[in-house]
Amino acid sequence: MDRRKFIKDSALASSLLFVPRFVKAFEAVPSSKLGYKRLVIVQLSGGNDGLNTIIPHDNDIYYNARPRLAITKDIIKLNDDLGFHPSLAPLRTLFDKGELSIINNVGYPNPVRSHFRSMDIWQTASDSDTYLQSGWLGRYLDTYGNKPYNAIEMDEQLSLAMKGERFNGIATNNYKMLYRTAKDPFFGNVLEHYNDQHLSEHNLGYLYQTMIEAKSSAKYIYETTKVRLSQEDYPQNQFAKQLKNVAQFINSGLDTKVFYTSLGGFDTHANQPNVQKRLLSQYAESISAFVKDLKRNETFDNTLILTFSEFGRRVKQNAANGTDHGAANNVFVIGKNLRKAGFYNKLTSLSDLDDNGDLKYEIDFRAVYKTILRNWMNVSTEGIINSKQKLLGFV
Amino acid sequence: MTTKELQHLYWRAGFGIQPKMLNQIPLDRKQVVDALFEDSKTFTPIEIDLSYLNGIDPKDLKKFPSLAKELREKSNIRILDLGNAWIAQMIHAKELLRERMTLFWANHFVCRDRNPRYMLQYNNTLRYFALGHFGDFVKAISKEASMLKYLNGKQNRKQKPNENFARELMELFTLGEGRYSEKDIKESARAFTGYNHNFEGEFVFRGLQHDHDNKTFFDNIGRFDGDDIIDIILENRQCARYISDKVYRYFVNPVPNNSHIEAMTEVFYNDYDIENLMRFVFMSDWFYHEKNRGAKIKSPVEFLVGMAKTVPVTFERKRDIIVIQRLLGQILLDPPNVAGWKGDKAWIDANTIMVRLKLPSLLLNNAMISLKAYGDFNDRFAAQYFKRSKGKLPFKTLPDWDSFLDDFKTIKTEELTNILIQGTVNEGTADYLKTLSTASKRDFCVQLMSLPEYQMC
Repeated sequence: MDRRKFIKDSALASSLLFVPRFVKAFEAVPSSKLGYKRLVIVQLSGGNDGLNTIIPHDNDIYYNARPRLAITKDIIKLNDDLGFHPSLAPLRTLFDKGELSIINNVGYPNPVRSHFRSMDIWQTASDSDTYLQSGWLGRYLDTYGNKPYNAIEMDEQLSLAMKGERFNGIATNNYKMLYRTAKDPFFGNVLEHYNDQHLSEHNLGYLYQTMIEAKSSAKYIYETTKVRLSQEDYPQNQFAKQLKNVAQFINSGLDTKVFYTSLGGFDTHANQPNVQKRLLSQYAESISAFVKDLKRNETFDNTLILTFSEFGRRVKQNAANGTDHGAANNVFVIGKNLRKAGFYNKLTSLSDLDDNGDLKYEIDFRAVYKTILRNWMNVSTEGIINSKQKLLGFV
Repeated sequence: MTTKELQHLYWRAGFGIQPKMLNQIPLDRKQVVDALFEDSKTFTPIEIDLSYLNGIDPKDLKKFPSLAKELREKSNIRILDLGNAWIAQMIHAKELLRERMTLFWANHFVCRDRNPRYMLQYNNTLRYFALGHFGDFVKAISKEASMLKYLNGKQNRKQKPNENFARELMELFTLGEGRYSEKDIKESARAFTGYNHNFEGEFVFRGLQHDHDNKTFFDNIGRFDGDDIIDIILENRQCARYISDKVYRYFVNPVPNNSHIEAMTEVFYNDYDIENLMRFVFMSDWFYHEKNRGAKIKSPVEFLVGMAKTVPVTFERKRDIIVIQRLLGQILLDPPNVAGWKGDKAWIDANTIMVRLKLPSLLLNNAMISLKAYGDFNDRFAAQYFKRSKGKLPFKTLPDWDSFLDDFKTIKTEELTNILIQGTVNEGTADYLKTLSTASKRDFCVQLMSLPEYQMC
C-alpha cells in the first residue's frame, strides 16, 4: 500500500497522530461524512432452503421433487405462484405495506457448494475463482469510515465481510463488557504516559493508535447508547437479542452505518421440516419486533435490512428428509420507500437446472450490493465491488 | 553475538528465548546458527489418536448416513486435538526452526480440510519438507489428499478439467499474481488431471482420467504430468524471487528490501534448498540490523506460544484454546481461504488489540494487572477493582509461576523488560514502567505482557 495514501485516507492519522489524548481524538472526529442511511445485514448461515421459504405453491415440479418435504399446509399465498412458509407470517404486514422486496434467483457464476467458501465469496464479493483478503463492507469502511464503530458486528469477533484493506469495523456482543475491559486502569495509565512524539506510521505506533481507538470506541458506544427499556417485546433468542441491541444503537443515534447480525443452523441435510420451521419463526418474529421498534422511534425510514444466505438448496429432496447444498437463492430487502416492493422478479425455472440439479442464478449478488451502495448509501462502488454489475431497481 | 541479536534470532527462528540460553558464554554467529539447524535435523511428526477410524469401510458411510454423521462429529473433535497438539509441539519441540518454518508454510500452502487423518498427514508433510527442497515440497503438496479436496484436484479430469489447483499453484504457491497467462493455467490443469487419493489419504493416480496428450506450458511442449509442470515453474527465476520475498517479509521485516531479497533470490534459485536460503538469511548482517528487531507484529499463534514458553500454562478445557484463537483472529487449521491470513497490521483491530492486551492477565493472573507504584505495598484499589471479575473468568487455566521464577531466578526484575520486549519501548511507557513496583517479578511480567510493545517481535 502507498504509505502516503494510507496516512491521507486513514482517520487514525487525521485525528490521532496530532492529538495525543484519546478523549480529544474522539471529540475531534467529524461525523458529517457519514450521512444518515443505515444498513443492517442479516446472514442466515448454513444455506437456507429458499424453495421452502418462498414456496412455488402452484408448481408440480416442486411437489414432485419433494414428495415428503414440500410444504402443503398453511402456505401464506402472496400471489398466484409464490407464498410464504407458514413461519414467515409475521412478515406478511411488511409485504402488504410494500416494505419488503424479495429478489429471486440470486447467486454467482460457477457456484461453489462448500459453506465455507461460498460464505467467503459472499462476504468478500469475489468471483468464485479469486480469493480476497478483505470484505465488501470493510472496503466500504476503507473509503467512507473513520471510526471502528462506523460498522458494528453483533458478535465476539469480526467477519471477513467487515475487514477492509486498512480499516476494520468493531465486533461486540456485549458492549458493556467491551467497555469494562477497555477501562482497565493499567491501560489508562499506559496511555496517560503515552508519548506520540516517536509514534509514526510504524507498526508499534499503529498498535498504540488502535489501542486508543478501541478504548474510545468502547467508551463512545457505552456512553452514547441510551439504556431506555425497549418498548417492543422481542422473542427470547440470541438472534432477537442481536437485533434488539442494533435497535438500541440505532435509536440512540450511534454514528454507525453498518450493522452485521447472523442466525445459524440452516444446514438441513436431515429432518429439515422442524429445524427450518423453528429458525424461520425466530427470524420472522425477531425481524418483525425489530421493525416495529424502529418505526416507533422513527428510525425505520433510514434503515435498510438485507437478508442473505451463502446458497440455496437442491430442488430435489434427499433420502434423509432434508436437502443438500444448492446454488441460487432468494434475498430479502426490507425498508421504507422501496422502489420495487413485493417480488422483484419471478422464480426461475425448476426444470432448467444446472448439472447438479440446482437453480440457475439470474441476478449476481454483487449487483444487489452495488445497488445498495449506490442507491441507498449514496457512494461510489469503485474499489468496493470489483466486478462489472448493473444497477437493480429495488431501492 | 550480542544478547539482543541472540534474542532477535530466537524470536524469528523460534518463539522466543529461554533465559538459560542468555547465561551461556557468548558464541559467535555461525555457532549459534549451526546449532539451530542441527536441532532441526530431526523430524518429529505430530501424532493424534485416530483409532476411531479403524475398521471403517467407506462404502458403509454412503449407506448409513447416521454413521457418517457420528464420524463427522468425532472428526471435528480430532481436528481440535490436532490443533492443540500442534500448539503443544511449537511450545515444547526441540526442533525450533523446523516448527517455525512449518507455521510459515502452513500460511503459504494454505489448506483447510475437516478430515483429521488427511489434515494430520498434510501438517506432517509441511513439517517434513519445511527445510527441504522446495520442488519436492510443491510436488508433495500437489498429491496431498487434503489439497486434492480443497482445491478440487480430485474433480480435475480429462473430460472436464478443473483449474482451481493449477491457478493457485501459480498465483499463490510459486510465482505470484499475473506471472502466467490464462492459457498456462488451462494447459497445466490438464497435466494434473487424474490426481486422486484413497480413503486412507494416499495418493492415487487414475490413468484413465489423466490427459496424456501434449501440453504447451511456458513455451515448452510435451506430454507433461503435474511434476513436470512444477519443474518448469521452478526454472523461472520469478519463483525463487516470489518465495524469497515472502520469506523476507515473514522472517526479516514486513517492509521489503529489494537488494536483500535479490541476494536471497540468487541463493535460492541456485538449488531451491530451503535450508540454504534460511542459513543465508540468518548469517546475513542485515538480518540483525536494529530496524529489523521488534519490527514485526506477532501473529496470534506466535503471541500465544511465546507467552506459554515464558510462563507455562495448562488449560483445563481444551476448547478454551480454540476460543482464544478465535478471539485473536487466527484459528490454526481454519484459515479464511487459500490466500491465508493477511498478517502484519491486519492482525490488529479494535477487538483483537484489547483481547491481546487483556489476555496475559486473564490467563496467568486472574485478570489482574498490578498498579502498584514503586515502593508501594498497598494494592487495595486494584484488589477492589478486580474483586468483581473474580469467579467470572472466561478461561480456566493453571499457570506455572514456579517454573517461571525458577527459569528467571538469575534475572533481576528490571532486566525482564529487555528479555520480554523486542525492539524499543515507547518513551512515555518506559517512563511509566519506571514508576512501577519491582517487588514482584510475577506482577512485572504480567505488566510487560500487557503492553503494545509485547505484541512485537
